[in-house]
Amino acid sequence: MMRPDPRRADRLRLLAGLALAGTLILPLVPLALWSVAQGWRFPHLLPQAWSGRAWAHALDPASGVLESLALTTLIALATTFIAALVGVPAGRALGLYRFRGKGIVTLLLLAPAVLPAIAVVFGLHGVFLRLGLTGTVAGVILAHLVPVLPYMTLVMAAVFARLDPELEAQARTLGATPFQTFRCVTLPAILPGLMTAGLFAFLVSWSQYLLTLAIGGGKVQTLPLLMFSFSSAGRNDITGAIALIYILPGLLVLILTARQVTGRGAALTQGLRP
Amino acid sequence: MTDRTRIALLLAPALLLLGGLFLSGLGLTLLRSFRYFPALGLTEPDLGAYAAILTSPGFLRSLGLSLWIASASTVLAAILALVAALLLRQSFPGRALISFLVQLNLTIPHVVGAIGILYLLSQSGAFARLAHAAGLIAGPADFPVLVNDPFAIGIILLYVWKEVPFIALILLANLQTLGEDHESVARSLGATRWQAFRHVLLPMLAPGLAAASALVFAFAFGAYEVPLILGQHAPKALPVLAWQAWTDTDLATRPEAMAMSIVIAAIGLALLALVARAVRQGGE
Amino acid sequence: MLRSLSVLLLLSSAALADTADGEALKAMTWDQIEAEARGGTVNWFMWGGSDMINAYVSGYVADRLKAEYDITLNRVPITDAAEIVNLILSEKEAGITDAGSVDLIWINGENFRSMKQGGLAFCGHTDLLPNNALVDWDNPAIANDFGVPVDGCEVPWNTVQFAFAHDSAVVPAPPADMAALLDWIRANPGRFTYPAPPDFTGSAFLRHVFIHAAGGPDDLLGPFDPATFETVSARTWEILNEIEPFLWRGGQTYPTSITQLNELFANGEVDFSFNYDPAQFGLAVQAGSWPETTRSFGLASGTIGNTNYTLIPFNAPNKAAAMVVQNLLLSGEAQLEKAKTEVWGAAPAIEIARTSAEVQAGFAAIKGHPSVVPAAELAKAALPELQADWLIALEKGWAEKVGN
Repeated sequence: MMRPDPRRADRLRLLAGLALAGTLILPLVPLALWSVAQGWRFPHLLPQAWSGRAWAHALDPASGVLESLALTTLIALATTFIAALVGVPAGRALGLYRFRGKGIVTLLLLAPAVLPAIAVVFGLHGVFLRLGLTGTVAGVILAHLVPVLPYMTLVMAAVFARLDPELEAQARTLGATPFQTFRCVTLPAILPGLMTAGLFAFLVSWSQYLLTLAIGGGKVQTLPLLMFSFSSAGRNDITGAIALIYILPGLLVLILTARQVTGRGAALTQGLRP
Repeated sequence: MTDRTRIALLLAPALLLLGGLFLSGLGLTLLRSFRYFPALGLTEPDLGAYAAILTSPGFLRSLGLSLWIASASTVLAAILALVAALLLRQSFPGRALISFLVQLNLTIPHVVGAIGILYLLSQSGAFARLAHAAGLIAGPADFPVLVNDPFAIGIILLYVWKEVPFIALILLANLQTLGEDHESVARSLGATRWQAFRHVLLPMLAPGLAAASALVFAFAFGAYEVPLILGQHAPKALPVLAWQAWTDTDLATRPEAMAMSIVIAAIGLALLALVARAVRQGGE
Repeated sequence: MLRSLSVLLLLSSAALADTADGEALKAMTWDQIEAEARGGTVNWFMWGGSDMINAYVSGYVADRLKAEYDITLNRVPITDAAEIVNLILSEKEAGITDAGSVDLIWINGENFRSMKQGGLAFCGHTDLLPNNALVDWDNPAIANDFGVPVDGCEVPWNTVQFAFAHDSAVVPAPPADMAALLDWIRANPGRFTYPAPPDFTGSAFLRHVFIHAAGGPDDLLGPFDPATFETVSARTWEILNEIEPFLWRGGQTYPTSITQLNELFANGEVDFSFNYDPAQFGLAVQAGSWPETTRSFGLASGTIGNTNYTLIPFNAPNKAAAMVVQNLLLSGEAQLEKAKTEVWGAAPAIEIARTSAEVQAGFAAIKGHPSVVPAAELAKAALPELQADWLIALEKGWAEKVGN
């Protein structure tokens, strides 16, 4: 039997890997080119003229793109913060204890994570309208919690499930207050998991389109809404520039978390969303 | 404090918040879908909206289209993700960069990907221009119809592009926890590579693959912005049809929009139950 | 963080309803209204797809409002005004009568009809605006919005007339009227298409074919007539189904929006685009999207003209400030600014002769964009807009008989 040449196998893998990676960034290429194009008609392979106009528009304070970037960031941060505040205790209950009704609770948490936004958004709009929450940033943050909170809770449940409860008990017997125990024992143990869960929760909120459109009623202009209004008006150059601005924070988040996800990340990937 | 109170206290904020938002949203949708709308003078709940949509050819075609999009995307993405995960598990030069790009894709919002695919694959898009430069086509009309097309090819390609990394990363995480022992044992007992994969590795990956695929299916079935950008004028994907009915200036179509979103929710929940059962059985 | 969060939540909850009471405003003098308007914020929901129009509103208009009246203009970009009509309808249904989220909308046509019929518009205030004197309300094309009497519920902003665009380097001699266009389509398979109604522009193209099928607009003016619709629409579907195989992609599918048609035109996939606002052709050429050789034309058989307006919803919380915005938009100076080719190129909704000598000179000095057919030339063959009921019946019929 002939053994395959290991170098040849390596080359094949690299080739397959490159094909995969190439495919993955391919759709970003025309977006990037459009953002510096002035006119790019068929059959030109490259833009007919290069221009910084789209970027000048996107970075001009009067165009509202930067304002929208700040607003999108603020909403995602607030959503993540509330989700962590509420989701960490719930995750602790689910991860550390066995109790009756746990199945139902898990299902109730899982359903909003699995169901598409379109299934609840009409009803949610009706409820929020009566509460005066439509068209407000607060309303949009609450709506974003529907997909974000289950995610945070389930990931934290997985993190707590791997936590050794004995450590906390020992700290308590050694005289630590509950707060000291949390700060010095529990928090350091769950922090890496919490960070990654938080960063992905941020991204889930960051990517929302439909919930923001319906609950914000256009008044809460996050980046995807702004980009969409240029895209649907055929301004491919400005669309390209906003698209690149829009994916930037994701890139930053990724650089911050790359190690956690590829490393011992089994529990974290449980909470990944498509 | 007993454990029971402690558990209740820990869970209460999340359940109240989520239950309040999710159940009230779903509940109001359900009420409206039964044409209960006191402000419009509708106080006798009935099944009129369901009857109307289930007998409308437009709705059934949209339902069929959305099921096709979700099934085709899920199957293709799952197969390719399996291949990608097996590839990325190996070590080879350049792997770090490639895994980074796989993860980068995960952070890109769907709406950005959809617009990118549109610029790439339309009949006058980047690929069509390359084909023209290579002398393969004389004009845009000769290029195959890949977006805004009757078979939703563009939509499916977008989901495959976006979800292969998603499923692959879940599988990779599973593979890391499994280690290589089981396969090595199988190989040492004389199994071929294929047999080891088919009878040892695949069954162990199945629960993760099923759960990830279910998430992808539910998402592809219910997403609004992707078919809005890449879809055809008719039939429309179900979420687009529902949104259109909801934003119609004729309020009478509202209950139908609500009924459509209940149908979407029911299909999503049925899927969730199915996968939960399959995973539980597989785990036993 | 918690405290800043709660401040944020407070700030973002419903705005204070300061001048929501429209009846009280109507009893005031304009000076009093201006005083009430000071410090107010106006949420203006408008189509946001043109960076030039956006720049005019967020720049020129917003700057003047801030400087002269201390009013903050918040331009809310939207893609479809129907969604906003629906939003206000939902607010009314939920009993929100003075704290709505919309202060001003850019609107016309069936969306205006929905708002008027649903009692969603704040009416009867337009006489109070000093610049209302510049508007020729005796002109039926201004006093009626798609055949629906305006009745003091909205203020005109622009007048437009439908025109076709072509690349003079590709099609040097475009068809002169609808009959010639239909012949051209048959002779040039795959080179023409139109957006599927209910797209606003696709629906307007459909009405041109409908009027052509009726042999002119005369039988179609006035309220909806089922018998006439029956015969004329049957002829319309016949024409459209007959040309379908000669359309782009063999008529198997239609563009979903005017944007998609514009892209097809830009890339030479089809030879014509069209728009209700010919100024858009000039903007597309300036943006580099369309070739410099783009030219535009009307039809000898006439093209439909209309007026678009701004409207204050019944539950707008800042009606006084919104009225000041409407008044400023109507001023000779503001109308002149947006008529400039390098700003927007929009045709005015006021009588130029009633403006100051300076503004008149400004209008006279405007040199039109070479790609934009002059409004005066289009006006030689103008068709009136049909009433909204015809429009809705046509859109429904098209989906059943042609676009299925």
